[in-house]
Amino acid sequence: MKVFLELGWFFKQEKKAYISGVFLLLLVAMLQLVPPKVIGIIADHIHEGTITKAMLVEWVIVLIGVAIAMYVLRYYWRIMIFGSSVKLSKILRNRLYQHFTNMSPAFYQKSRVGDLMAHATNDLSAIQQTAGAGVLTLVDSLSTGGFVIIAMAFTISWKLTLICLIPMPFMAMLTSWFGSMLHKSFYKAQEAFSSLNDKTQESITGIKVIKTFGQEQEDIEDFRKQSEDVVQKNIVVAKIDSLYDPTISIIVGISFFLSIAFGAKFVLNGDLSIGELISFTTYLGLLIWPMLAFGWLFNIVERGRASYDRVAALLREKVEITDHEKALDTVPYGDIQYQIAEFTYPGDAQPLLKDISVSLHAGETLGIVGKTGSGKTTLLKLLIREFEGYQGEIRFGGQKLQDYKLEKLREAIGYVPQDHFLFSASVAENIAFTDPTATIEEIERAAKLANIHDDILQFTDGYQTIVGERGVSLSGGQKQRISIARALLMNPEVLVLDDSLSAVDAKTEEAILSSLRQNREGKTTIITSHRLSAIQHASLIIVLENGQVIERGTHEDLMELDGWYKEMYLHQQLEELVEHGGH
Amino acid sequence: MEEKLQLSEREQRKILFRLLSYTKTHKKMISIAFVLLLLTTIGDIVLPYLVKIFIDNYLTPGKLEFQPLLILGSIYMGIQIVKAVLMFFQFVKFQEIALYIIQQLRIDVFSKVQSLGLKYFDKTPAGSIVSRVTNDTEAIKDMFVTVIATFIQSGFLLTGIFIAMFILNIKLALFCVIIIPILLFVMNLYRKLSSRFYLDMRERLSQLNAKLAESLSGMAIIQVFRQEKRLRHEFGDINEQHYKAGMKNIKIDGLLLRPAIDLIYIFALIIVLSYFGITSFQHSVEIGVIYAFINYLDRFFEPVNQMMMRLSLYQQAIVAGSRVFRLLDEEELAPAQKDEKTIAIQQGKIEFKDLSFSYDGKRDVLKNISFTANPGETVALVGHTGSGKSSIINLMMRFYEFERGEILIDGESIRNFTKPELREKMGLVLQDPFLFYGTVKDNIRLHNESLTDEQVKEAAKFVQAHTFIDRLEDGFDHKVVERGATFSSGQRQLIAFARTIAANPKILVLDEATANIDTETEEAIQTALAKMRKGRTTIAIAHRLSTIQDADLILVLHQGEIVERGTHQELLALGGLYHKMFLLQNGAVERFEDVVNG
Repeated sequence: MKVFLELGWFFKQEKKAYISGVFLLLLVAMLQLVPPKVIGIIADHIHEGTITKAMLVEWVIVLIGVAIAMYVLRYYWRIMIFGSSVKLSKILRNRLYQHFTNMSPAFYQKSRVGDLMAHATNDLSAIQQTAGAGVLTLVDSLSTGGFVIIAMAFTISWKLTLICLIPMPFMAMLTSWFGSMLHKSFYKAQEAFSSLNDKTQESITGIKVIKTFGQEQEDIEDFRKQSEDVVQKNIVVAKIDSLYDPTISIIVGISFFLSIAFGAKFVLNGDLSIGELISFTTYLGLLIWPMLAFGWLFNIVERGRASYDRVAALLREKVEITDHEKALDTVPYGDIQYQIAEFTYPGDAQPLLKDISVSLHAGETLGIVGKTGSGKTTLLKLLIREFEGYQGEIRFGGQKLQDYKLEKLREAIGYVPQDHFLFSASVAENIAFTDPTATIEEIERAAKLANIHDDILQFTDGYQTIVGERGVSLSGGQKQRISIARALLMNPEVLVLDDSLSAVDAKTEEAILSSLRQNREGKTTIITSHRLSAIQHASLIIVLENGQVIERGTHEDLMELDGWYKEMYLHQQLEELVEHGGH
Repeated sequence: MEEKLQLSEREQRKILFRLLSYTKTHKKMISIAFVLLLLTTIGDIVLPYLVKIFIDNYLTPGKLEFQPLLILGSIYMGIQIVKAVLMFFQFVKFQEIALYIIQQLRIDVFSKVQSLGLKYFDKTPAGSIVSRVTNDTEAIKDMFVTVIATFIQSGFLLTGIFIAMFILNIKLALFCVIIIPILLFVMNLYRKLSSRFYLDMRERLSQLNAKLAESLSGMAIIQVFRQEKRLRHEFGDINEQHYKAGMKNIKIDGLLLRPAIDLIYIFALIIVLSYFGITSFQHSVEIGVIYAFINYLDRFFEPVNQMMMRLSLYQQAIVAGSRVFRLLDEEELAPAQKDEKTIAIQQGKIEFKDLSFSYDGKRDVLKNISFTANPGETVALVGHTGSGKSSIINLMMRFYEFERGEILIDGESIRNFTKPELREKMGLVLQDPFLFYGTVKDNIRLHNESLTDEQVKEAAKFVQAHTFIDRLEDGFDHKVVERGATFSSGQRQLIAFARTIAANPKILVLDEATANIDTETEEAIQTALAKMRKGRTTIAIAHRLSTIQDADLILVLHQGEIVERGTHQELLALGGLYHKMFLLQNGAVERFEDVVNG
């Protein structure tokens, strides 16, 4: 029940809805007592032959009134209580989302998207259950149960009430015992199901092997066996599940039997009328639900608490990269200087960068090359402050990066990442990602610069074609060029291309690079690349190996050096030849 | 792309009937379940009637004799207990039937998937196929277990209650019949409205989740382009829409579910009470009948509530069913073989005659390929990525159907051999050898139970895989995790070799691994390859030219065409594409400059 305390802030915030909802629930619980009572009264009068037309009309009007009142009240408490619980999940979902947008890449490195999704879906729905159905069952089972017992004991017979309640605790005990058995067997059934899922997944990914060895029938046989296991485990669940209703029916049956047997005795003694006995048995029917609900309540609350703990822990995660108080509110421009003694990724033992000292004047182009894992991308990530915690400093326009507001720093940098991620939206929206108000002319200009305009016109809906995960599939090269257009649209001080031309052919690469040179006069560009042709014209090229600069200079300087760069350059030239059939 | 599903009433009915047709094979179990159901329903009906007898015959006249009352009481409790026991078995039976039906459906879908051609797998993501086989059938299971079972049980009970009412009092029972159209009306209205609103909410929820998943994977981009605020706003909008859809559902539920059914209940109660009240003006009424009627009314409405609550599951199951049936009706089957003749592959001579092929019908990936591999010879395919090497193997293995040109084995068209014959005589080793969850032994044997443990070990020894396998914990019984992730790619390759050798094929098709392999394993692989090729016609894709220097014929492919052909020495002498590839791989930097500039 602790979770109700933890959710206190929300109940307080929505206290109007909850107080009126609970009040309505209580009213309904009381009104529920009327029809059985009326039945008893009318039955008695019929029995004794004292019934009159006026009396009948009177009671029918009472029943109609009660019926309509209950209908209306029931509708409204649902709106209040269930409505609030839906609101709670909305609020928490927005909070989570906001929190997610504040977390730095270090956070995303250690958590899996699937887990984060689970928090925002399954956990929130469990919390919603607690705030809705949980509150309902708590209030309803207590009030209905309480009122019914009071009505039975005080208006009919307390002796009979006690007698017929004897079997009820057994029902609560048995159902909660079944509940824990069900939980265990259900878990096993889920396991069997998920291994069937794995089996299917494996067969489909390994379909070539299966076909090669002609093992289709055998594999189907294997699937049959596993699905049989699922059936068997589920039958166990079914058996436990099927215990509920018969058990309830027996226990309620005993209660009925007791109340009628003893009730009959009271009727003969004259302590009770027949009508009252009928009312009494009808009340007994009303008691079944609160008994069941109580067992159910613990279940809901248990799940809700676990889920709320997880969500709360997630929301407590600290935001790592923040602005300091006196951070400049201006967009930086000017020279860029790297002076890094050492940088190690959080959780890694070995430093990834060592003794990096590079300076770049505004308007120049820096080319960074080196093997995979040599630290090229990391240099860029430090510039956009995705990671921090290095020894040394990076200056931009004479100031340290940390002296600018994060938002302003990033306004100066147009970043084209290695893994070209596009959103499920139109091409135009993707290019205008930084500025949804951009005109179509601006969008087309960026697309032309990135050499993707003609491709886009070939798409079925041109600039309105939906791309991304749920849209048409594009080639790697097309995605890269759209990512470039996206960065170019903001006309940034610094353009950063992180191996972003790997999937385009040499001719397109050259076309993009030369249009960049023409159109970004006076602006800085940083390019990392596997293909040396992409950085051949850079003002400065550095070669990284194991996080250190091993060669630096212009293309000409490096070719004379006869080192890694030259060897790689020739290798790639030859590769290019082979790709083109040797000519 | 997951399309929106709005099925017409007719389509829904068709899907339901097709799902129900799966019950046919379980006639016996179903009859048992129905008999049990009939008995429990009778119990439900008889119990209040017994109380009525007690009230009218004993309590009202005030004559409480021990003997008959003991009998009545024992009968009451006896029926109660027997009913509960039967009820248990009946519930279990219905669920069992549902589970077996779903198992059959699952096996059908899975078998269908196995019969599909690779073309289907190219255009359909694996995740969505898996989801058809497991998740969608699970949704259908929920319908069978809860919806259909509840409907049948409730239907029986309702009919029984009406029969009892008619026996007790025909006139009043007739009055009560008017409840039925009202209930049907409410149910129908709810079904119509809720299916619309429910689908709307599901739609919003999937939008919400899609947005969230996309934002999480693209968070780096969002942050570096400073669009956090805008996206928060967009997410907030979708969240608000979802909230509104949720509220609409609560309202519909509140208007038409339990509160409405309870309202109708009280009106039914008014009918019953008024009827008895009015008739009692003329003549006396048996109190027990009132009791029984009211008790029946109580029992009547609970199943109705149950049925209404399950309607949304029905909707989901129909949608899932439509997806499952679409897969079952899929026509992209694997290429067919002419099974009437049973010719065997004797020599293993392979000929490609003027073969052209296209995956999409637009762009040819193979153009006029012709070559011959004589029995026992090795033909190597080399070329850049996308040159068409893998397509040649795909066609040879009959993964895809071709129309232009011909592939002959021992002079017969490849289509004329039976599938088992081809699979038995042709062994393929894939580039990324796929290992299944299980043990090393299982992975070498696959499902071929006729192979003894000895033969499995023999095969492993032949390809020199036994040295590393013996060093594993439990040796050949070592557990292989998903996709064999704990093995190096070289080790996986060796296991795949053993797998192929165990099957002892006449023709060997090799797709050499590109991945980096440690030198120790590399050597083992090379020796194994040489041994395997002996006495077998081999078609090999080689990424490393060093491995195919002794091939009888090397074909150099470029953009789907054979541009050079000959032996290693001949091709080197030619000084063309092959020569350049060779230089590149041997890292003879000093000679690069000459070639590049020359």
